[in-house]
Amino acid sequence: MEAALKSAAYTAPDAKPASRPWFFTRPAAKTGLVSWLTTVDHKKIGLLYAVTALFFFLVGGVEALMIRVQLAVPNNTFISHQLYNELFTMHATTMIFLAVMPLSAAFFNYMMPLQIGARDVAFPRLNGFAFWVFMAGAIILNVGWFTKAGAPDVGWFGYAPLTSNQYSQQFAGDVSTDLWIMGLQILGVSSVIGSLNFIVTIINMRAPGLTMMRLPVFTWMTLFTAFLIILSFPAITVALVELMMDRSFGTGFFEVAKGGMPILWQHLFWIFGHPEVYILILPAMGVVSEILPTFSRKPLFGYPIVVFSGAVIGFLGFGVWSHHMFTTGMGTVATAAFSLATMAIAVPTGVKIFNWVGTLWGGQIHTRTPMMFALGFIWMFMMGGFSGVMHSAAPADAQQQDSYFVVAHFHYVLIGGSIFALLAGIHYWFPLVFGRIVSEFWGKLSFWVIFVGFNVTFFPMHFLGLNGMPRRTAVYDGNMGWNSANLIATIGAFVLAIGIGIYFAVMVYTYFKGKKSAGDVWDARTLEWAVPTTPPPEHNFHITPTVHARDAFWYEKTHAKEIAAEKAKVAAETESHGGIHMPSQSWFPLITALGLLIGGLFFAHHNFKGAIAGGVILLIGVLGWAFEGPGGYHLHINKDGSVTGGEGQDEAKH
Amino acid sequence: MRFSSAFSPRRAASCLALLALPLLLGGWTSGPQSTFDVKGPVAHTQLHVFYVTVWVTMIIFVIVAGVLAYATFKFKAKKNEPTRPADAHEGHGNPFVELGLIGASILALVFIAVPTLRAIWYTYDVPEAQRANAYEVNARGLQWWFQFEYPSEQIEGSGQLVTGNELVIPAGRPVRINLRTSDVIHSFWVPKLGGKVDMIPNRGNHLWLQADEPGYFWGQCAEFCGESHAVMRFRVIALAQDDFDAWVENQKKPARTVPAPAPDAPVAQFASYDVTPKKRNAPGYSAAFDKDPMAAWTALQFPEKDENAALVAKGRALFKEKNCITCHAVRGHEGLGVNAPDLTHFGSRTTVAAGLLENTKENLHRWIVHPNDVKPGNKMWVGVNGMAGYLDIDPATKRPTGKRHIDVNDEEGRALVEYLHSLK
Repeated sequence: MEAALKSAAYTAPDAKPASRPWFFTRPAAKTGLVSWLTTVDHKKIGLLYAVTALFFFLVGGVEALMIRVQLAVPNNTFISHQLYNELFTMHATTMIFLAVMPLSAAFFNYMMPLQIGARDVAFPRLNGFAFWVFMAGAIILNVGWFTKAGAPDVGWFGYAPLTSNQYSQQFAGDVSTDLWIMGLQILGVSSVIGSLNFIVTIINMRAPGLTMMRLPVFTWMTLFTAFLIILSFPAITVALVELMMDRSFGTGFFEVAKGGMPILWQHLFWIFGHPEVYILILPAMGVVSEILPTFSRKPLFGYPIVVFSGAVIGFLGFGVWSHHMFTTGMGTVATAAFSLATMAIAVPTGVKIFNWVGTLWGGQIHTRTPMMFALGFIWMFMMGGFSGVMHSAAPADAQQQDSYFVVAHFHYVLIGGSIFALLAGIHYWFPLVFGRIVSEFWGKLSFWVIFVGFNVTFFPMHFLGLNGMPRRTAVYDGNMGWNSANLIATIGAFVLAIGIGIYFAVMVYTYFKGKKSAGDVWDARTLEWAVPTTPPPEHNFHITPTVHARDAFWYEKTHAKEIAAEKAKVAAETESHGGIHMPSQSWFPLITALGLLIGGLFFAHHNFKGAIAGGVILLIGVLGWAFEGPGGYHLHINKDGSVTGGEGQDEAKH
Repeated sequence: MRFSSAFSPRRAASCLALLALPLLLGGWTSGPQSTFDVKGPVAHTQLHVFYVTVWVTMIIFVIVAGVLAYATFKFKAKKNEPTRPADAHEGHGNPFVELGLIGASILALVFIAVPTLRAIWYTYDVPEAQRANAYEVNARGLQWWFQFEYPSEQIEGSGQLVTGNELVIPAGRPVRINLRTSDVIHSFWVPKLGGKVDMIPNRGNHLWLQADEPGYFWGQCAEFCGESHAVMRFRVIALAQDDFDAWVENQKKPARTVPAPAPDAPVAQFASYDVTPKKRNAPGYSAAFDKDPMAAWTALQFPEKDENAALVAKGRALFKEKNCITCHAVRGHEGLGVNAPDLTHFGSRTTVAAGLLENTKENLHRWIVHPNDVKPGNKMWVGVNGMAGYLDIDPATKRPTGKRHIDVNDEEGRALVEYLHSLK
């Protein structure tokens, strides 16, 4: 990743401003550990998210493989019931909160500002803070693996009253559930902060001429996802606070003996949990909506409809939560209402699929690896969508709920959907981010192995569920007719793992030794490819682009002369305003997040003095953040294309 | 069945699909918990709705996937084709195509919505016309077993009839089941008879189902409920009305007492079965039983011929001595507890450890002597509601001391097995 900076033509800064106390000196390192710890560059933060997410993706994958080994044969003793429960709890929690969400966040961070022609997000330090808070949450969630009590084991949905003190711990001192609560709570903080930042960025920092209806679809989906996050996370935040109070201070929100209502948890959880599903899939839809036009060499079919159907999905997504609760005895009218609302959400989702097919129609389809993953996405997402329609019919769902049919369904939308699209995105933007291009042969091989492995794993699960196999069961008897399907699923899981292994091995190889590429390798359509170098320089664009049409970069390429004249004008204007304004790096996002980590860990262990100490560190971080000043420096693009200026060099120049 | 006959034209198609699927998938749809091989009107209605969703989505899938596949191949860039000129005319969509497709999607969903709505009302509660004929029972979930209560079968001096883990119902009659829980959320699911409904604390749920014919049905807890959720299972046994009445008659009696052994009878002998400890999760089912579970059930309703009266007496004494009585009730004998399954007629049940193991002497022995290997974390092992289990737990730290509070050796196990099996 250092390459991203080395290649940028800039002069390393050396002078430091004289008049500030040492703790308010802004770090200026552009390479090395300090540069990563103090970074405010959206691209570096995006890479931090990506690397962390991919690490946890592998952790969650290993957890999944252990689950599949246990279920390969009936009456297996590979792992204990307890460990199995920990594994499925952490597999889901990890994949949702620590793999797919941050991987989406990585794309939001890296690509969205480039797509709107901005130099960074609206609040660069806050962006760094969001990442470090995410790290704190991830650590707290996983720290249980290294303690005697073990990892959280109440399921990622944490249904009360299984999460109460009475039922979540076999014996005293099991804090795994407290760690789970605290971890999720802190991850929520990170998501909300990140989302606010993206919303402000998209609304305020678009390049001149980039009207909302010219936004790339990926940016639209970033915006919708961000709104979904800030509107849905408060529900789970409330639920988690209540649960934390029940466990730590003896309140009775969900405690039956104190008149609490366990069903309340389910409503609060799914009011968050269902929009969360769209938080996981909308970014994927955005990625696919970028890749399909590029490789069909044609604009997206029905752009306004694709955008509005994303918005409709977002709205309806808040009105269907109880379809996760069809078996909780809601009564006929409520069940009917949620059943119909759920069916309704199939319409905007179907519309997107129609428009993707419409994009292919009449195009010139180049089946490069990213396109293969994107096409795979459409097929698999379609299947997951259809099993979703089957769930929406509540009476049918009474048999499917909590069975392997559901497991099949959501893996088709989450792997076949989200993961396929994110893998497509990694492949697609790899040349932009690292200036190297992934081998077509190995890329396509990994696609086919993943595609086959995925279907062999999850297709039989439809039948397991319809044949009565409940989910979250550590063992099953050999006389239930589930043996062959389970064995096939386990074999498929290993094929899938090999595919993922090939994919990442090729990525690592390409990063170090892959074929170098320059610029716009796919003949793409959107602004992120308009950067002067790949990897992009710290300031993204030498000259802020002016947008004249949807698919802005395509327009630039087709109107080269007009654009060149315009760029010269914008460049002169920028320089007359003092050059390119860049944000300063800072230690305080990291320090503030560290306070949350320490406080969270102590609080989960019911050590309130330690929690207060963590709070004090957090406060120091916040104060330092406030008083170190806004910072910032200017860069200047010279006639020969070189870049001068940097942290602390402004005074010297002006 | 009045309801489902309304759909008869489409039922033919459903039946066809039902026949074709097992052929294609070699038994993937015919297990004991299959939702295809349904045996009652509720499950049948749910299956019908499922088939409607399958047909509608299949048709859409074939169309959309067909167009997608066609477009992918038809518009694939040719090797020597010049790349599309960058300034080619660029369309951004067609509103009429979009509106048409949205309309078609909504229409397709109406096909699903109509039977869905009818079935929501039908499956929710016993239809009005049959309500008078319905039989009512309560099912209660506990970590990790089921208790069944019969409010209409009152026993003088001890209230309603209570059994555990095997729900016996009359066949051919709607059964309304009130769902309750004593601890966390559980879910009552007998796939062949109907979909699941959850047992939620502070909430009075119910479901109804009907077994059209007498039969033996597998069920399982379907909501994650803690460490041993996977092995929280149960059975539903549907009997013809006469058989059901006879069964109720027997169940209402106090526990059977085996006549005391004659003074000159031989001293207690160990029954001959294998007691070598098995691996945890070792299976407890047999092909012979699965072949005709109803015959196996019937056989269990009568006392065994080779009962060892002395061993039974020893077992009964141990049942008290080992404190089993504080949690288990044996009506008419010493047992008084309410925290664990009522064992008054335990010997007449087909399974032990909540539907997990077939009720053979060998399996029962394994469950009594090594309960934690059968069902990890079970309350007999760790204690429940202030009652100590097999484990010795330090009251101060609330952690196991490493010692045993109750220990059952093989010899004692054999006696307890003999006693429990005498309770027909």
